[in-house]
Amino acid sequence: MELVARKADLVRELQFFQQIVERKNTIPILANVLIEADGDSLTLLATDLEVALRSKCEASVTKSGSVTLPAKKLYEVVRALPESDVRLATEKSGQVVSVSAERFESHMPTLPREDFPSLPESGGGTVHTIKGSTLREMVAKTQFAITGEDTRYYLNGALFVLRPDSMTFVATDGHRLALVNAEREGGAKGGDEVKAILPRKTLSELSRLLSDGDIDVQYERGENHLFFQIGPRLLISRMIDGQFPAFEKVIPKSNDKRIEFEKDRLTSAVRRVAILSNERSRAVKLVLDKDKVEVTSSSPEFGDAREPLPVDYTGPALTICFNAQYVLDFLNVVESDVIALELKDEVSQAVLKPVGAEGYDYTYVIMPMRV
Amino acid sequence: MDAFYASVEQRDNPALRGVPVVVGGDPTKRGVVAAASYEARRYGVRSALSMAQAVRLCPALVIVRPDFQKYRSVSQQVFALYREVTPLVEPLSLDEAYLDVTENAWGEPLGVTVAKRLKQAIRDTTGLTASAGVAPNKFLAKIASGWKKPDGLTVVAPGRVESFLQGLSVDALWGVGPRTADKLRAHGITMLPHVRTIPVEDLRGIVGSLADWLKALADGRDDRTVEPNRPAKSSGSECTYESDLTDMARIRTEIQEMAGEAAEWLARKDLVARTVVIKVRYSDFTTVTRSHSESPPTRDVERLAGRALALLEKTEAGRRPVRLLGVSVHNLQNTDAPVVRTRDDAPRLPFDGD
Repeated sequence: MELVARKADLVRELQFFQQIVERKNTIPILANVLIEADGDSLTLLATDLEVALRSKCEASVTKSGSVTLPAKKLYEVVRALPESDVRLATEKSGQVVSVSAERFESHMPTLPREDFPSLPESGGGTVHTIKGSTLREMVAKTQFAITGEDTRYYLNGALFVLRPDSMTFVATDGHRLALVNAEREGGAKGGDEVKAILPRKTLSELSRLLSDGDIDVQYERGENHLFFQIGPRLLISRMIDGQFPAFEKVIPKSNDKRIEFEKDRLTSAVRRVAILSNERSRAVKLVLDKDKVEVTSSSPEFGDAREPLPVDYTGPALTICFNAQYVLDFLNVVESDVIALELKDEVSQAVLKPVGAEGYDYTYVIMPMRV
Repeated sequence: MDAFYASVEQRDNPALRGVPVVVGGDPTKRGVVAAASYEARRYGVRSALSMAQAVRLCPALVIVRPDFQKYRSVSQQVFALYREVTPLVEPLSLDEAYLDVTENAWGEPLGVTVAKRLKQAIRDTTGLTASAGVAPNKFLAKIASGWKKPDGLTVVAPGRVESFLQGLSVDALWGVGPRTADKLRAHGITMLPHVRTIPVEDLRGIVGSLADWLKALADGRDDRTVEPNRPAKSSGSECTYESDLTDMARIRTEIQEMAGEAAEWLARKDLVARTVVIKVRYSDFTTVTRSHSESPPTRDVERLAGRALALLEKTEAGRRPVRLLGVSVHNLQNTDAPVVRTRDDAPRLPFDGD
């Protein structure tokens, strides 16, 4: 293989592969990116067996062929090169690839292409077009609620439901749940639902791939895999099989107390007060009283803190306690200036919602801690 | 202990005495031999052989299902006898241990007398026979204990170490498995004295970092002390299934249960683990392991199982039929530091059946 590509193109694409390849890897080939050169482009491919990314960039190929190179080192080397053309060429032995630019020259060992896992091919299924910016927002509003490691493996991902006229993302770690529904423009009512549980890594890759610009995403749900074509890049993901819990059941219907907060004031108050909360539980209390909510915390080792917020509230006095992080997770991703807290009592699920959001519904359910 | 599990079974069931007996799994269901009586060994039946093979070698073989609870209680009896003699007892398994009897409760000046008395005490208490090796260090004692079996007693007195070493093949060396032995033999090194003659640099070229250790052993040097409380480095379990597993839900349940066992073990030992390893053997016998390390270490069953299940996603289990599954925990440490509280102490959303 022998080719020349622009450094800027190569760096831009290689950067997307950095999170795909495994950091703590037991299979050496999975640390590598597969580069295939043919015609006037090169194709890059990497996988950790859970997600895979394929991407392309322009290149003038003098000798077509393929190599696998360590994704991290290749990226570091190319990134450090001057803004010029980069030459990649397999040495005669076939064991080593030279990466050079201007006066710089380097050699890296390549692993056999045959060792690279074969990836599922898309095709056959229905391809749905989704607005990239909407997808990005939905991912951002739910991905933090996914549990890290749960035996209920189906909670290690977010449920994605696609309908002709709307779509839904839901994620939960069993203690809080984030649900967002968004409209799809021009979609007809009714029709089939396309459901899948997306692994956490897939969500973070999606948000990375969708971070710049608004681009349409071609989405296909295969038998065991999901395919997201995002411009020149194709993200392939394993699907988590399993039954996502009946999330509708934990969304309270009878929360009769509602308080609206200015988002920024609530965010600052919770953040400040939480500093002196119990380090393990991170508990902050909201002490509700007539036209006032006091955010408080205390811990035996650090002391205590409080900050009152003026609100419109005429209901009974009540104290409800949350993990500050759970509250901040929501406040950090919600865009509206005003948010609402809806609750029933000290022990039932509370709901946080944006007020005045357009084009989507966002519901965040938190299980209160015992006071 | 001689043919430990099999001997216990023969002791408890007179009908089994004098006949070839093995303890292990079902031959029609991929069982393996866990222990073979001396009668069975005459037919070439050894432990770790597949039961089907064992039956081919010895059609008259009597197969007894293992009763580990019974073996454990016999083992406890035997170890109690050891500990009456010296606190310096280093267990190697249920039925094998090193004892440092330099100083002993009986005040016996000679190791060989201690060994004789212990063998008698074991026979009186359990009705079973044991073989002992008495030597100046662990390496020699271990080899000596296997010299004559069953009911053997081999003494390698300091003056006889040299002649004992002369007769040993490289396989006998601690740390030399079949692979290393093959490598050594390929270089003409078959007997211990050959190890002495080859320069250490050349030996390093053959066996790598093992070279210095082998050199020491070949000279009969082994300074390892008997460590009564040698901390465990890992723990785990694995299971070969009667028929291959393809159902992902079943595979997950199995992994979850094994992670649960590991968590229980950690709790018993008051340890936490930083690393979880899973092992998957597919129906074609190719075997993969996947490992995950993370701080802080934990023994929380949800976390351990969660990690193990996440690792499972990085295998082809389910898409390829699975013959064997295993879960183990490594990088263990004591729980001096407070165990990090998990979020699962926090109240849960009321999902149905949660």
